[in-house]
Amino acid sequence: MTLFAAEAIHKRFGARVVLENISLGFERDRVHGIMGPNGAGKTTCFNVLTGRHAPDRGRITFDGRDITGLAPQRIARLGIARSFQIMNLFDDTLVIENVLLALPAFRGRRTSVLGKVFEDAGLTDAALAVLDLVGLADRAWEKAAALPYGDRRALEIAVALAAEPRILFLDEPTSGLGAEATQGLARLLDRLRQRYTIVIIEHDMRFLFGLADRISVIHWGQVIAEGTPAELMADKWVKRSALGEVA
Amino acid sequence: MITLSDLSAKGGSPVTWPMGLFLLGLATAPFWLAPIGLYQYLGIEIAIWILFAMGFNLLFGYMGLHSFGHGAYLGVGAYAFGLFQLHVGTSLWGGLLAAVLAATVAGAVVGLFLSHRRGIYFALLTIGFGQVFWFSAIKLHSVTGGEDGLLGIPRPPLELGFASVDLNDNAAFYWFVAALVALVVPLLWRLVNAPFGRVLQAIRQNELRARFIGYEVWRFKWATFTISAATAGLAGGLFAMAQESAYPDVMSLHQSGLIVMMVLVGGGLVSFWGPVLGVILYFIARDVLGGLTETWLLWYGLMFVVMVMVRPEGLAGLFHVLRPGKGRA
Amino acid sequence: MLNLVPHLVNGLTLGLLFALIALGFTLIVGVMEVINLAHGSLFALGAYFALSTIGGDWFAGTGFGVWWQGLPLWTRYVLALAIGPILAGAAGMVLEFCLRPAYGKAPLYGLLLTFGAALVIEELIRLGWGTGEQHLEVPQAINGAFFMGGLIFSKYKFFAAGFAILAILAVWLLLERTPYGAVIKAGAHDSEMVRALGYDLATLRLLVFGLGAALAGLAGVVMVPIWGLRPHVGIDVVIPAFLIIAIGGVGSFWGAVLASLLVGLAVGVTGAYAPAWATMSMYILLILILGLRARGLLGRKSALES
Repeated sequence: MTLFAAEAIHKRFGARVVLENISLGFERDRVHGIMGPNGAGKTTCFNVLTGRHAPDRGRITFDGRDITGLAPQRIARLGIARSFQIMNLFDDTLVIENVLLALPAFRGRRTSVLGKVFEDAGLTDAALAVLDLVGLADRAWEKAAALPYGDRRALEIAVALAAEPRILFLDEPTSGLGAEATQGLARLLDRLRQRYTIVIIEHDMRFLFGLADRISVIHWGQVIAEGTPAELMADKWVKRSALGEVA
Repeated sequence: MITLSDLSAKGGSPVTWPMGLFLLGLATAPFWLAPIGLYQYLGIEIAIWILFAMGFNLLFGYMGLHSFGHGAYLGVGAYAFGLFQLHVGTSLWGGLLAAVLAATVAGAVVGLFLSHRRGIYFALLTIGFGQVFWFSAIKLHSVTGGEDGLLGIPRPPLELGFASVDLNDNAAFYWFVAALVALVVPLLWRLVNAPFGRVLQAIRQNELRARFIGYEVWRFKWATFTISAATAGLAGGLFAMAQESAYPDVMSLHQSGLIVMMVLVGGGLVSFWGPVLGVILYFIARDVLGGLTETWLLWYGLMFVVMVMVRPEGLAGLFHVLRPGKGRA
Repeated sequence: MLNLVPHLVNGLTLGLLFALIALGFTLIVGVMEVINLAHGSLFALGAYFALSTIGGDWFAGTGFGVWWQGLPLWTRYVLALAIGPILAGAAGMVLEFCLRPAYGKAPLYGLLLTFGAALVIEELIRLGWGTGEQHLEVPQAINGAFFMGGLIFSKYKFFAAGFAILAILAVWLLLERTPYGAVIKAGAHDSEMVRALGYDLATLRLLVFGLGAALAGLAGVVMVPIWGLRPHVGIDVVIPAFLIIAIGGVGSFWGAVLASLLVGLAVGVTGAYAPAWATMSMYILLILILGLRARGLLGRKSALES
């Protein structure tokens, strides 16, 4: 069943058309990959889907509800979480607080002006549990800025997970990671796939082909091919245009 | 990178040693001000400006919104207090309530305009609104008394039910101001360590991420602006009592710039206590340097410029460096 | 019914004068992304240097001073028009030097540094020239009043407005019609480009800041015969410059000119009906326009927003 659908999305910046008539559908409990060469419009596509930019035309629905043009915070509160390719953390804040702030239950306490941040042990435990999932539980009380690069990537994902999302968008999660860290991430996502609907932008083909149930290939702002990894491997056109430069 | 790093990790308990030191200083000031060559009234001024500066730093340091027109709310509070005394009735609590309410309303309305603006446009708009208040205060002669301001504002006595305390005496008035400061400052400390305050700081660090985890950023900006204006209003009411008058000068760009300077020099960007240091330093500089030379502002300004150039963390930042590893207050 | 024509004329000339004030400010904001709060102080500094040039104070009592004061007023005035801005520009370069640690940091630091500098310059002016109100003499030819359509106009205001037009055109030509313009505009946004064109970024910033400060000083020399000269004249000046940049949109040359004229007209027309509130109309205009358009009339996205 389709949980999240984008129909005929157009987006331009000035004179440059970045997305042209893109339609995508993400099914519940599946891992969906989006790939394509740099500058193909993948990140813009994510930004439009998660509300950072409103599309010029087209419709975006989530669980049957039209969310086209909603502000990112509204979209986030519906249960759509995302990570960023360029790290977007609260750097001067503790690792655990980065996660805590994203918990919907903590958001419910946002107007508390006299309570203490960590006074609710249940919330702190929930944040620790999320950190444990990405292997950061033992660094919970360090500053986010002090983490090494790979751990910051993991935290980036943890913040998205903490939102208890119904669908999780990950923008190039392996970017800048070494081979070992990439494998670790793959194992993590393999565990997460049992609980979440996941959409991943990625240009690491091996990584994506090992994880995704379905993959859409974007080039020149359009979806040029779609299918299971096996189907795409067989598609000559795809091989030449997108995969060619990696493989 | 400048951070408000002295917030204790699991913070929120108001029982910290700087808080203790601060309250101790506040409580004992009348006994040592005169012996070190200062005077009681200076203590009152410093306490009032500490109130103003700490409320301002909620907006400036914690939320990262750089207002250059905050004197307006101090002024609104001062005028509201004065107008209440002159036209409604002589009442301490009535006047202070009017001061806080007027500044809150002014801040809330202006905040609606400001909360969607960022960076330089935010700063420019705060200046614009600040000037509107300042200019109105000068021009609405029949209400505000024009450039001279409201004169002869009484200091109503403090009614405690069983006793009435005359606040015309500066010593008594100091105790009253100090008591209010001792109440508000721990509240602010709790606020910045409560979920609300932590969200503020998260927004300052990364507004985009805050939105993508579901926070309505503008509401936090608006609320912070309003709270900070309300604190300024309280300080303004007390200021009107201290000066026994209310005048437009406190709303000028110059004054609004000075509060920014005080907060920054003290280290408001890195510490909850920065504004306290900054206010004390400013008033001491005014009195001590001012006693030596008429151009004390030149020296203060030069010191400020050098400070921004070499150590923008301010005095509190210096403190962190001197005590490596124990930088948390 | 009030005759609005003189008020409109007044408003337009005032608008041109505002544009002259805002010119250096918008240049520095646009290229360096620094809000120069010392703009008004440099304005005052230029005017005070001009005052000393015309009065010959520095050499009073020497033979040179006597000879100098014997020169016709218009000669000394023209020299003041050059010397005032040049010295203000030099002061601006010193300020730019102080600003260097602030580059690449939050825009707040530029604001704070220049605010401090404004305080310092104002105090220095008090030290050097005293605190009282002073008067800058202007040559007979452009002094006095003339009649037009039965109404009285100040000659000097028209001279100043014409001067403003010339200055606006000169800056526009520099930015749009000379190779330097391209480098200046590449300025803050694209330091790679500046280097690729064979220029040194640090020198470019120094020169642009100097030019902006000199324009402030020039505005000072031209405006002060109308507004009077006192140490804190700077603050009266930096505010309109500010408003104009905010209304016009940060970094937009024509936005600033358009905003200046709008503000001038608003002040002029309000002056016709409620003179006491004329200045207030600027602020109302600012709030209205920024309430409707987040980046002013012609503003584009700026690094100063983050």
